[in-house]
Amino acid sequence: MRTYNNNINADFICKHCGNYVSALTAVSGVVNRNHCPYCLHSRHVDLFKAGDRLCACKGLMAPVGLTLKQSRDKYAAESQGELMLIHHCTECGVLSINRIAADDDPARLMEVFESCLKEKTRLQDLCKCEGIRLLNTDDLYLVETRLYGIAV
Amino acid sequence: MQIKATDAKCIGVVYKKTLGLYDVHDSEMTIPCSLSSKLWKDFNPENGKGNSQDIAEKHMDPVAVGDRVRFTKSGDSSGVIWGVLPRKNYLARASAKPMPGAHAFEQVIAANLDQVVPVFAAANPEPKWHLLDRYLVTAESYDIPSVIVITKMDLVKGTRVEADLMKAVQRYRQIGYPVILTSAIEHEGVDALHKALTGRISVLVGKSGVGKSTLLNALEPGLGVRVQAVNRSTGKGRHTTTHLEMFPMKVGGALIDTPGVREFGLWGLAPDDIAYFFPEMRPYLGNCRFGLSCRHDEEPGCAIRQAVVDGEISPYRYQSYMRLKADL
Repeated sequence: MRTYNNNINADFICKHCGNYVSALTAVSGVVNRNHCPYCLHSRHVDLFKAGDRLCACKGLMAPVGLTLKQSRDKYAAESQGELMLIHHCTECGVLSINRIAADDDPARLMEVFESCLKEKTRLQDLCKCEGIRLLNTDDLYLVETRLYGIAV
Repeated sequence: MQIKATDAKCIGVVYKKTLGLYDVHDSEMTIPCSLSSKLWKDFNPENGKGNSQDIAEKHMDPVAVGDRVRFTKSGDSSGVIWGVLPRKNYLARASAKPMPGAHAFEQVIAANLDQVVPVFAAANPEPKWHLLDRYLVTAESYDIPSVIVITKMDLVKGTRVEADLMKAVQRYRQIGYPVILTSAIEHEGVDALHKALTGRISVLVGKSGVGKSTLLNALEPGLGVRVQAVNRSTGKGRHTTTHLEMFPMKVGGALIDTPGVREFGLWGLAPDDIAYFFPEMRPYLGNCRFGLSCRHDEEPGCAIRQAVVDGEISPYRYQSYMRLKADL
């Protein structure tokens, strides 16, 4: 019988690419593994806060863009915020922003960034409604330095 | 409902149950009774070699508090129970397993009930809503109405905990369950509860330390049921009540006090039937794309999941439903 997995720290098999994903903090560098490090897809399972597993949508969440986490320090420069991944639920259309894990594929992250530049009008409208700043061409240097350490 | 023995000489109601000993009340007096070996053998033939003395070591007990039983009085003012009359209904749980891998068995808590009263403390110990859902589903499965009681409201008054608690209370009220907020110290809500219990046979169930016996003392002053404060270090109850006992109310009806339970396993329910025992899910059953075969988990076109997303069903109740299904 299939069991109801409410353990937020359990290993899982990605619903999108089928890869086995370890939830060990030592591997991912984050406390709560949110998405697959290979294809960056996630699932819409949290409702009010990360890890609550209260959402019944359970739809696939596709990576659609990158943003910066807003710093709690109101005097900090905007570019100092942590690089975050934007997910879009393919079932109900909800947007959520999530931390990038240490073992996330940087090339795939770059692909997500580049693809969002192509179809930015629709996505930008969605992000604007949610108050999320979508990174654009002007942020290429910042994204590259965050992902690779240097601009390539 | 009045509890009256139909035949004062040989039929009575079980008021109290301790290890191997039953207090049977007929219209005149309370008689301490043991169980006849024949009744024990008839009920549990594979373990029939034992006698009523070692009943406590056996798994299945044929007699529960609230049962109407046939008994014979002996000369020394005690008696022997030799028959159990058919039950109107009963409330049972899967017993706690004594060791990993052991089989659970059906444990009848009480019989011939009019309502189940799950009791939870507003704080100290904090309420476990999933446990409440277990009680409610069990009561629904036996077709017994429930009245939810929250005790110790004085502990959370004016705090943020109260606001969160009221959200949960609202959730259950919307489904249709009556919720009574009480404080035995401030005598708040006791009259409303008294009214809800009058003329009915009710069983109080809940974790240790939530205040079931305190509530009983507040409802029927003079009973003098033993109570204790929760452990200050652990915040948990001290398992003060160790036996099941029924207390008749002066205004009619009766209250059955039970020992606190740490776990309440569902008994005799199939995972596919659980959704029916969530009243708010009933209208959606059969409306899924896969009809009654839907497991309401990840199936596309599931009406129940859609109702949760639309806000018609509480996500907390849906999560409880999924956990209950997984546990069976």
